[in-house]
Amino acid sequence: MSHSSQERPTRSIAEWTTFGIASTILGAIAGLVIYAWATEQDRPPVLTLERREQIREAQGQYYVPFTVENTGGETVESVQVVAELRVNGQVEESGDQQIDFLSDGETEEGAFVFRRDPRRGELTVRVASYKLP
Amino acid sequence: MKKGLAKQWRTELHDLLRGASGGFLFGVPLLYTMEVWWIGSSVGPVRMLLALVLTFAIIFFLNQTAGFRRDSAVHTTDALIDSVEAIAIGIVCAGFILILLQEITLQTPLHEALGKLIYEGMPFSLGVALANQFLRGDEGRFDQQSNSSRSKQLSATLSDISATLIGATIIAFNIAPTDEIPMLAAAVSGLSLLSMMIASLLISYCIVFASGFTNYQQRQQQRGIFQRPLSETIASYLVSLIAAMVMLLFFQKLEFGDPWQVWLNYSILLGLPATVGGAAGRLAI
Repeated sequence: MSHSSQERPTRSIAEWTTFGIASTILGAIAGLVIYAWATEQDRPPVLTLERREQIREAQGQYYVPFTVENTGGETVESVQVVAELRVNGQVEESGDQQIDFLSDGETEEGAFVFRRDPRRGELTVRVASYKLP
Repeated sequence: MKKGLAKQWRTELHDLLRGASGGFLFGVPLLYTMEVWWIGSSVGPVRMLLALVLTFAIIFFLNQTAGFRRDSAVHTTDALIDSVEAIAIGIVCAGFILILLQEITLQTPLHEALGKLIYEGMPFSLGVALANQFLRGDEGRFDQQSNSSRSKQLSATLSDISATLIGATIIAFNIAPTDEIPMLAAAVSGLSLLSMMIASLLISYCIVFASGFTNYQQRQQQRGIFQRPLSETIASYLVSLIAAMVMLLFFQKLEFGDPWQVWLNYSILLGLPATVGGAAGRLAI
């Protein structure tokens, strides 16, 4: 370009304003990263599973909603949630579910689907495993 | 004096839009890569800072040659200031799309949002710094063609359509076979689809008309059948949507038995990067 060799004129007010906003944004981002760094603790992941909602029945199937939350510090990968329905001490139905990612404070929701009414048996839903990224 | 001030602001706006357009051209394919979101989610603050510093260094060097401003940086301080701006533009644009794609929501934990923002902002910022280099083109190349007879109009329209189609297909080809579109579609709502459409149109308009890339003055003169900026933007969006849909069909992400909502969702989601590609295609002709 022909004008690349020309001397650049002094910065205008508009340019300074942009620079001001830009450096504020960048400063805020860097500040937040440093804040995250400072508050980062070496806490191992703690995974809590809750069944907050009621079991729902539709077209002969039973839906058991669940919520997993990572209340610890570290992010985990491949969280495995398993559900087992026992009737008279025997496992009648089971299911498992994998959650890709669960970082600190993150919540994921899902549901298991059974053909039998889980309320008539003994239902366990638990987190079975995870791996660290 | 007042007039001069208005002109300064206009130049500045053009510079910023040019930077943002470059960012979108370079950054959008990586935005549709879930591995980058995951890396962003799990990366620690130290690495984020390192990534920022590294990006800054690269962009500083780029700004000494390319940059996004009309006048390229001569002094080191100018290049430094431009680098700060390039990164800020990159992060803002990447953040905008990440929010649209619902990869960053109010529920996203802070460090995860920061990681995604910084890692996705990197390619955007590089695009901003390369903006001039990308699509500088030779100004005045079209000067001889501007007399608009009927047949010329038609051929200009055809060449615009084919350029949009080629650009959109190249980008859509890269994204369609991957799992991101079905994944994003699962979380999408009516409102976010509408905002994606508006964003696609806006970005396309900015890249072609507002950023002052290449032959833009020439573009604003009417040549083809849909050469008014608004109608050209809408028409090329439709062409890009069709390109996106064809690519999704080609890679069997869409099948004829799927409900129409799936067709709509997938096409609009892939339509955004496809439109960016289409806009780049039209600039390249």
